[in-house]
Amino acid sequence: MKTNKQLALVIDLNVCVGCHACVTSCKEWNTQGSAGPLTDLHAYGENPTGTFFNRVQTYETGSFPNTETIHFPKSCLHCEDPPCVPVCPTGASYKRAEDGIVLVDYDKCIGCKYCSWACPYGARELDEERQVMTKCTLCVDRIYSETLPISERKPACVLACPTNARLFGDVHDPESEASKAIAERGGYALMPEWETIPANHYLPRSITEIIAAVKDEN
Amino acid sequence: MQPNFSLVFFTTLAGMSQGLLFYIAIFKSQFNLLSNSFLTNLALPVSFGLLIASLLASFFHLGHPERAWRAAHMWRTSWLSREVIVLPLFITTVMLAWYFSAQDKSFLIIWLAIVILAFLLWICTAQIYQCIKFIQEWAHPLTFINFLVLGLTSGWLLFGSLIWLWSDAIEDAYVKIIPAIGIVLLFIALTIKLTIWKRNRGLKPKSNLNSAIGIPNTRIRQTSMGLMGGSFNTREFFHNQTNLVLDNLRKIILFGVYLFPILILVYALQSSTFSAVFIALIVHLIGLMCERWMFFAEANHPQNLYYQRIS
Repeated sequence: MKTNKQLALVIDLNVCVGCHACVTSCKEWNTQGSAGPLTDLHAYGENPTGTFFNRVQTYETGSFPNTETIHFPKSCLHCEDPPCVPVCPTGASYKRAEDGIVLVDYDKCIGCKYCSWACPYGARELDEERQVMTKCTLCVDRIYSETLPISERKPACVLACPTNARLFGDVHDPESEASKAIAERGGYALMPEWETIPANHYLPRSITEIIAAVKDEN
Repeated sequence: MQPNFSLVFFTTLAGMSQGLLFYIAIFKSQFNLLSNSFLTNLALPVSFGLLIASLLASFFHLGHPERAWRAAHMWRTSWLSREVIVLPLFITTVMLAWYFSAQDKSFLIIWLAIVILAFLLWICTAQIYQCIKFIQEWAHPLTFINFLVLGLTSGWLLFGSLIWLWSDAIEDAYVKIIPAIGIVLLFIALTIKLTIWKRNRGLKPKSNLNSAIGIPNTRIRQTSMGLMGGSFNTREFFHNQTNLVLDNLRKIILFGVYLFPILILVYALQSSTFSAVFIALIVHLIGLMCERWMFFAEANHPQNLYYQRIS
């Protein structure tokens, strides 16, 4: 299994500043790309709601004065053993053998929402207007594009990130930037207790300790 | 989870019909007790109607019902797909049984198929929920046992009520046997429900905020879920009811599904009032809808950890 390619994102929690540029660039690309449209309902109403493949959440840890604010981007983790895929009754949800991306065939999806129940991460969102399940595609229509400049053949969120908090690559290739970051900096997976083997990894925060150590030295 | 009424109706109505057909098949094939006119004009049309109603109800939770036929494709891996295959087979077999009973014929093989398909449908329906291992309230054999026993119980009460409606079908023995077995089934169903509730109260969630975002700090709270107007995640996985509503619903379930029907059946047994079985069925059914609503509401999805605070 490890010999296959597995594309994924590695997200550095040290440098994410919670600017939501990945959220908006994702929506911008994907609403007009092959995964779109990602529709919005009541866009100018009291409770606007819409489909997004990526969300940035914020958490606080610790107690004063040792507190931290953590911005936490969350999208489909492209699990190596994705629980959402075998439950799909139509085969609309599938994991690509060639690069491990989990995708939805919108023409086959019946909108039964069962895959979203079977995802512990809440990574899938039903598009209210199209009534089909949608999710992060790792910008499959960008990364294999033959018309975009080679430097832009990356997921929109990765290109948009102003702090370079998002690395993209093959996590099965030990030489890739993503794999090296995971290996060298203790990259971890979310909710390992369910054995979904997420391909996306997060780099743990160490910046607070580093800053404290530097302050102590001076 | 947010309970979905189409699934509440589907699981309760189909379950009751499966129970009814199970008893029809046993009574007809093993004891030859039911007349063909009772089967042709009442029992089989009612079972068929309930199955069709539940099938229609199930379409309402699909975003694209016109593509429902595609759902038979992934039967190798998906319990939902298996259910989509078993249900039409079951309905077809019931139609065959109905056709032959109208011809005054009865074939053991068809009754056997009805019993087997009823059980297969129970397994599929329950497994759809039971196989999601991280919804810990569902991931237990009690989910199947509860569906099975409540189907057999509501089916029995409906069976008794239909016999009461078709006065020709009443035999003296029924007046005692039907309430008596009903009481036993209700007691078993009640024990299972109480066991499930006890298990749910003792469940320790395997996932928590630490494992959800991978940060080991003991003090951790969300300050923003990243959106303000709600999303699919906030609509689909939260029931948005207060604990007071849930507690009151549990009381309604306890009395509606189990205790009142038991009391009514005890009265039916004591006074030989067969019509009371029908009253017990109505009360039981109202309770059953609440029970199934609660089945969904009680399920805690780990994705909810990510959606605790708007800002």
